[in-house]
Amino acid sequence: MAEKIGGVFDAFGLKTGKQKFEYTAAGGVYAGENVYAVLQAPRGDATEALVLCAAWVNTEGELNESGVALVLALARYLKRWSLWSKDIIFLITSDSRAGPQAWVDAYHDLHTPPAVASLPLKSGAIQGVVVVDYPTSRGFESLHIVYDGINGQLPNLDLINTAVRIASGQMGVRTTLQEMWSHDNQYKDRLRTMLRGMVNQGLGHASGPHSSFIPYHIDAITLQAYGDGWHDEVTLGRTVESLFRSLNNLLEHFHQSFFFYLLMAERRFVSIGTYLPSAMLIAVNFTIAAIGLWLKSGRLNDKEENKSSDGKASEGKNKLLESAGEVPSAAEQPDVVSEERPLLLSMAFVVATHFLGFMPLYLFNNLDEKNFTSAFYIFTLLNVILPPVLCAIFTKSFAPTALHFTLIKCFSLLLLGMFLSALATLNFSLSFLIGVFASPITFINPTPKRKWTVGAAWMALLQGLTPTTALVGVALYWGEPLSEILKEAAFGWRVWGMWTQVVVWCVWWPAWIIAGVLVAGSWAVEA
Amino acid sequence: MRLLSWPSITQLLLAPLAVASASDYNDYSENLLLKSLPGNSILASFRFVSNGTFDSHHSVFPRSLAQILQQSQTKELHLKFTLGRWDAEQWGRQVWDGRTAGGTGVELWAWVEAADDSEADARWTTLNNALSGLFCASLNFIDSTRTIRPVMSFQPAGHHSPERLERLHLLHGTLPREPVCTENLTPFLKLLPCKGKAGISSLLDGHRLFDAQWQSMSIDVKPVCEESGKCQLQMEQTVDMVLDVERSLGKKDSPVPKPPPIEQLSCDQEKPYAGGDSCFPLSGVTDLPWSLSEMFGRPVRGSCPLAVVPTEEATHVCVNIAEKRSIFVSQGSEERKRSPELRCFTLHENLDFDIVLPELSPSTNLLLTPPPVYASRSLTGHGQERGGIQAVLNNPSSNSTVEFVYLESLPWFMKPYLHTLSATISGKDDGNIIQDIYYRPALDRKRGTQLEVRLRVPPGETVLLNYEFDKAVLRYTEYPPDANRGFDIAPAIISILDSSSQKSTFSIRTTSLLLSLPTPDFSMPYNVIILTSTVMALAFGSIFNILVRRFVGADEVIGGSLVSKIRGHVMAFVAKKRRAGGDKPKTE
Repeated sequence: MAEKIGGVFDAFGLKTGKQKFEYTAAGGVYAGENVYAVLQAPRGDATEALVLCAAWVNTEGELNESGVALVLALARYLKRWSLWSKDIIFLITSDSRAGPQAWVDAYHDLHTPPAVASLPLKSGAIQGVVVVDYPTSRGFESLHIVYDGINGQLPNLDLINTAVRIASGQMGVRTTLQEMWSHDNQYKDRLRTMLRGMVNQGLGHASGPHSSFIPYHIDAITLQAYGDGWHDEVTLGRTVESLFRSLNNLLEHFHQSFFFYLLMAERRFVSIGTYLPSAMLIAVNFTIAAIGLWLKSGRLNDKEENKSSDGKASEGKNKLLESAGEVPSAAEQPDVVSEERPLLLSMAFVVATHFLGFMPLYLFNNLDEKNFTSAFYIFTLLNVILPPVLCAIFTKSFAPTALHFTLIKCFSLLLLGMFLSALATLNFSLSFLIGVFASPITFINPTPKRKWTVGAAWMALLQGLTPTTALVGVALYWGEPLSEILKEAAFGWRVWGMWTQVVVWCVWWPAWIIAGVLVAGSWAVEA
Repeated sequence: MRLLSWPSITQLLLAPLAVASASDYNDYSENLLLKSLPGNSILASFRFVSNGTFDSHHSVFPRSLAQILQQSQTKELHLKFTLGRWDAEQWGRQVWDGRTAGGTGVELWAWVEAADDSEADARWTTLNNALSGLFCASLNFIDSTRTIRPVMSFQPAGHHSPERLERLHLLHGTLPREPVCTENLTPFLKLLPCKGKAGISSLLDGHRLFDAQWQSMSIDVKPVCEESGKCQLQMEQTVDMVLDVERSLGKKDSPVPKPPPIEQLSCDQEKPYAGGDSCFPLSGVTDLPWSLSEMFGRPVRGSCPLAVVPTEEATHVCVNIAEKRSIFVSQGSEERKRSPELRCFTLHENLDFDIVLPELSPSTNLLLTPPPVYASRSLTGHGQERGGIQAVLNNPSSNSTVEFVYLESLPWFMKPYLHTLSATISGKDDGNIIQDIYYRPALDRKRGTQLEVRLRVPPGETVLLNYEFDKAVLRYTEYPPDANRGFDIAPAIISILDSSSQKSTFSIRTTSLLLSLPTPDFSMPYNVIILTSTVMALAFGSIFNILVRRFVGADEVIGGSLVSKIRGHVMAFVAKKRRAGGDKPKTE
């Protein structure tokens, strides 16, 4: 493939380069060869470049026949113009997932040499990337603009706006987003588009060949031809040409527009100022709860504590005090004496649980893909019994008091709040989704002497909110087998540098385990 | 000999000049070399040489420039305006051994006579400011942060006495960002005796020159001495450009590029899908026909009367094309054929001169001589904190080692780490590649980094020169208006050294780079200014109000309307009553 296409580029009088790459992830080998050609801008000085890319095989595994042909034809057509101020790189990657990543890594010299070859030919700083995906030779009905990057990073909104305007305004092609093939621009469809965008962003995987470029601060989109219609290659070609003319006229890198947004329709978005508070509120909820617990923990064993000094959260504690037969008197209420907190044990427990998170992270990134399904089931089973077991071990060996459990919860929530609020600025959707899933943890009372039914109900609720359940949910949402999702995750970790798993296994999962331990602890600990 | 290599052509063209300058003082000569390059491109290399002295009033040497040189005590001057990049892989070696081409933008270096460094700096500033006015270029922006003093890369080309050599200071400055355009060409042409009205300089039209694939204008002034001790200044002006024939001719038909109609396409009929509306274009390349008047928009308007009389050796126009290709010239010119691939002509004073080359199929190219080194440079890494630079230097020769000096002039906000500097051949460093390093670190906002590395590349090998750097954060006033575009980093200069004399014999420039620095949101200071201004206005308004206004009790107001008078009386009365009532208990 690379030979043949390289030959075609050569015949156009373009400089051609090839790059071999090979990745291994989860026992699978992903190898291929990229071929690209550089159209040097006449009078240009090789400081800036644009990339027109087509993958030989698209993300669905279909042969991108018209897309590749279109790139070749455009290479020939655009070469005759003298107006280019930026170099244009025509890139044909052998696949949609590993190929672009290998190429862009090598372009910035951040590749691992024996597995991923260096590029023989480079140009200037890449200012924009357009990927063409047109797997049929029939006409198409609408253009699907894919924009999600790795780790939920997004291209500048101006690029999407330009593409939408050119396609719908000049070419009369309908544009769609997030696989919303029909969109009536009403509340329901907007919400659905936004939620789909959030799920894609939250998962942080590559949604097309363009995704690999975005972490390098290169704005990139994929134009997918969708459906059966009367638009043909010429329309798509003119759209791309027009888009390149626009990018070529850019004096500066895309800036002062939105890099943080949620799209609801092709011309409607939610800006960061509007959506960020939601994720922040969820994250702050954990922090506030943690601070509350901390303040309370200092007074927990204080005998002169007033019953009515606190709200709901201290109810359990008061119950505990009552059960001990020491009813606080209201008269001596103002003098609150703080008590020393047993920090070491609780802190060590929280830290240890967080480090425990590296185990599944390592496991699911290094197992062979054949064992994924069975490993996942075993892990899920272990996951169900892990909190009670952990709790049993913990209570047997350290004989913790209720104060210990309060502090454990306090530290765990503090960490969760801190991680999620930091994450909200990086990947809003992931932080939001995890926050929503983890929010019940705030309401768990780490106190014993409950009815066992309440504890059981809590445990059942928690089991429904595990990361493993979420994984099954994602698998159902996409309609793909579990092993495929895990394979994708392992591939993402190895090749794309995807951080979603780290967040799931080292932030969310430990918080969940601790919540489970707390629930189990309420059965175990005697006052 | 089937082909003429570049050096020999250069010698052929240079030889008569040396002879001429010995015989005549105030002389001027000009010639044009046209060379066909692969890919339907043509290299047009104009060369104008004038000799003269500072004090002569009748010299062809331009007085404007002479006075500047005298004022700033500049003994040797090199000024280059370049646009685009020389594609060495396609076009081979540069003309004139790369001496006349500069890096992208403007490049200036000069030997200034001065007692010490500070005096040299002052004279250098004078020179820059004066040249800036003369050439309409932003040369006055070459300040201390953009000036370096190369140690190994440059040697004076002129004749200087040993005593004077000791007092000469070499200063070098670049402006990689400067767009070279017509406003630089016009003063350039004005320095010529015929000022673009006659002679080969009449071909120099801004529209054609700046549409070239690559173009370079250069001015080199140096003292030339005879054996008798008589010295004079020699100014060599060159304009080199590479024109794309297809594009130059296409402009004639339609200024806007359009896809050709399907009948005009040459399709590969052997493809299974050929015919109808699908077409696989044939790649057969032909040498397109062209003529001087088509390429430059006009023919040569006769010869310049002030130029030296052409002799057997010194001709006006030379064409270097493949032997097979036929050539037609207009009447009134004399052909002096030199070799199968080089044909030279002399022009008549009053007759237009044109060259016409018919189409030739299949294409035949001249054999190219590769440059001593292929060099490319790129930025590595990403992010706004640090980065790296990688230079790929390839020695195409199969038998000789090449030694050269690699010179980087980096702005101060790019802080290289010398310990990360590495030169490797296929991942290994045998300790023999880097011969010598001269490094002058940057001072913040005062001067840039200067890095000179002498390298030796064995035959057929590729050296990777890598180093890393940190990006500084600028003050917000230090950003240019288009801060988000990035900052241009001047091209690296590679001077090939002669193995015996250690003098530079050939020079190559890499392309410039675009470095993106952390850029603030510039609307933020604006917001701050707006907010503070509002607060200031409010505070100032109220304080001023309080300070200036005289407060008077309502009852103290004298005059005014009847209503207010009555009201005042009533109020005073009420107050009095109340005071009287309030006082009573206390007095008791």
